[in-house]
Amino acid sequence: MGSDVSRRHFLAAGAGAGLYALLPAHARAQSKTLVAATFPGTWNEAHRNLLAPYFRKRTGASVTQSIQLATEQIAKLEAAKGGRPPFDVAILDEPQVYDAAKQGLIDEYPAAKSPNFKDLFPVYQDKWGPKISLQVIGIGYNPKKIKTPPTSYDDLLNPAYKGRVGLTALNSQLGMAFLAELNRIKGGNETNFEPAFKALKALLPNVGAVAANLGAYATLWQQEQVDIAPYNFNFVQTLKAKGVPVEFVVPDTGLVGWTTSLHVTKNAVEPDLAVAYIDSHLAADMQSEMEKPPYDIIPTNSKVPLTSAIMQTVAKTPADLSKIRGFDWTKINPQRTALIERFNREIKL
Amino acid sequence: MVAITMPRDDEWPLALPLAALFVVCFVAPFCVLLALSLHAGTDARAFSIAQYAKFFGDTFNLGILWSTTWLAIRATLVCVVFGYPIAWVCSRAPARWQSVLVFLVVLPILTSVVVRTFAWIVILGREGVMNDVLRALSIVDEPIPLLFTETGVIVVLAQVQMPLMVLPLLATLSRIDPNLGDASAALGAGAWRTFFRVTLPLSTPGLVAGCILVFSACATAFVTQTLIGGARLVYMPLHIYQQAIGANNWPFAAAISVVFTVAVMIVIYALNRVGGTSKAYAGDGR
Repeated sequence: MGSDVSRRHFLAAGAGAGLYALLPAHARAQSKTLVAATFPGTWNEAHRNLLAPYFRKRTGASVTQSIQLATEQIAKLEAAKGGRPPFDVAILDEPQVYDAAKQGLIDEYPAAKSPNFKDLFPVYQDKWGPKISLQVIGIGYNPKKIKTPPTSYDDLLNPAYKGRVGLTALNSQLGMAFLAELNRIKGGNETNFEPAFKALKALLPNVGAVAANLGAYATLWQQEQVDIAPYNFNFVQTLKAKGVPVEFVVPDTGLVGWTTSLHVTKNAVEPDLAVAYIDSHLAADMQSEMEKPPYDIIPTNSKVPLTSAIMQTVAKTPADLSKIRGFDWTKINPQRTALIERFNREIKL
Repeated sequence: MVAITMPRDDEWPLALPLAALFVVCFVAPFCVLLALSLHAGTDARAFSIAQYAKFFGDTFNLGILWSTTWLAIRATLVCVVFGYPIAWVCSRAPARWQSVLVFLVVLPILTSVVVRTFAWIVILGREGVMNDVLRALSIVDEPIPLLFTETGVIVVLAQVQMPLMVLPLLATLSRIDPNLGDASAALGAGAWRTFFRVTLPLSTPGLVAGCILVFSACATAFVTQTLIGGARLVYMPLHIYQQAIGANNWPFAAAISVVFTVAVMIVIYALNRVGGTSKAYAGDGR
């Protein structure tokens, strides 16, 4: 009897496979699953709530989103090199794009297959993958505890904030960009980080917590464990919408930012779905939705007008966006290991 | 005391599936790890012990190894101090109560360690339950730091891993013949003397098993260590993670992993030796 059942199953499975081949591509995609990486915080919420349903409707396929930092994705892609990558779509910050391209972890983006690509501002049409947004960092603070809004990164050193300042480890781009900006303000440059570490040392008595990852960083604010810290504009907006007492200010030294982009990984299992997913992210209607609170994700599509929250805080016009200061990551990337190591040594209790 | 029956000659193949799994999922990856740790650098494939030299030549790394071991030792001691009485009460309770108590002990492992750790963040936070209570009782005026302190990590580790201590202890304690205690009392020993001369030696195998489980779980508890301790309290698991993922320095991460594994194994071996000695002691019936 046992063999009878299995034979029947076998036949059914065979018939299923036959039928499957006859189905039109759209219906066939329904059983397919794309695996896409996403960042913690604002990003995974916007991708889960907006992009995933949009993509499902467009392709009929489903998507599994896995939360990982850019550095983690690089490490995993590197580990899987030569075989099947663990995800089809990578989300990277500017510094990691150089590494990923150099190490052959991502494919050039097939712009011809992506109808929305041409609507992006030309600066965001990168050949390795379209820039989906710009992330900017400034100062986050708890308005319940700090009545006078901070105006500069030097305010973090105010003795009144002893034990109230938060930092995040350098595995996140937030941590790395803050270090680079602190370094620039204190007179350093991309090849000399001495001023940053000197400033960090002076800051340490005020530092109440260094979060090991961005998820824990958000928890610091939710639990009111810290009152003031460098933070992403988007993350502040998302937390604020959840009722967490946090406000974002642009320091007098200006905003610092970097682009964030999506990429098709090398040897991706579902390369066509990956392009469809990325193209969905570029669509004007999608970017308009993502621009609304609580996400406030800065659009890169030229057809999407800037909203008030972004215009008030970040940029009045798209042209202002291009004025946001960045860093030469090709110079900083090779020092990343040494910087992480030094940071760990100097902040260790 | 507990007779270990050796498997009969024709029974050993039963262990083969597990052995195969062990070889494929542990021994083989460990060999890969070992090979990786002997690479000279991230790009250089040449055989070299440079990574180990780097580890042992730097007090920063040795400091992390020591603080991880010391952290796990303290958390294990807390588990012993609080877990032993719980196990003892459980083993002496009437059968009906015993199942309730055992259920309460096991309850924490029914939720994910991540969930339990986040609950502790809410308890230990600056505006958390603990600080609220302390302030309400006027014990402190200002909230005291509990989160991101070593004390916090130890407390949480001890709570999270407590079942691993209580369950083996309970198993050995409930196997001890209650008549032995009565006999000891009849011969004139007081309660403490009976405990130290009879109960404790007889329960040593369970105590050692519990210590081994709790120690290895605490030393390697990446989630609890990083969420409660933060990045300023660097322990070995976070150190390995940062080298592998953040710095992309796999050979060094592999070398640290090997060193860490060996260090944990040394402690387990030492604990086992203690267990073996006391087993012989208890077995002699002295």
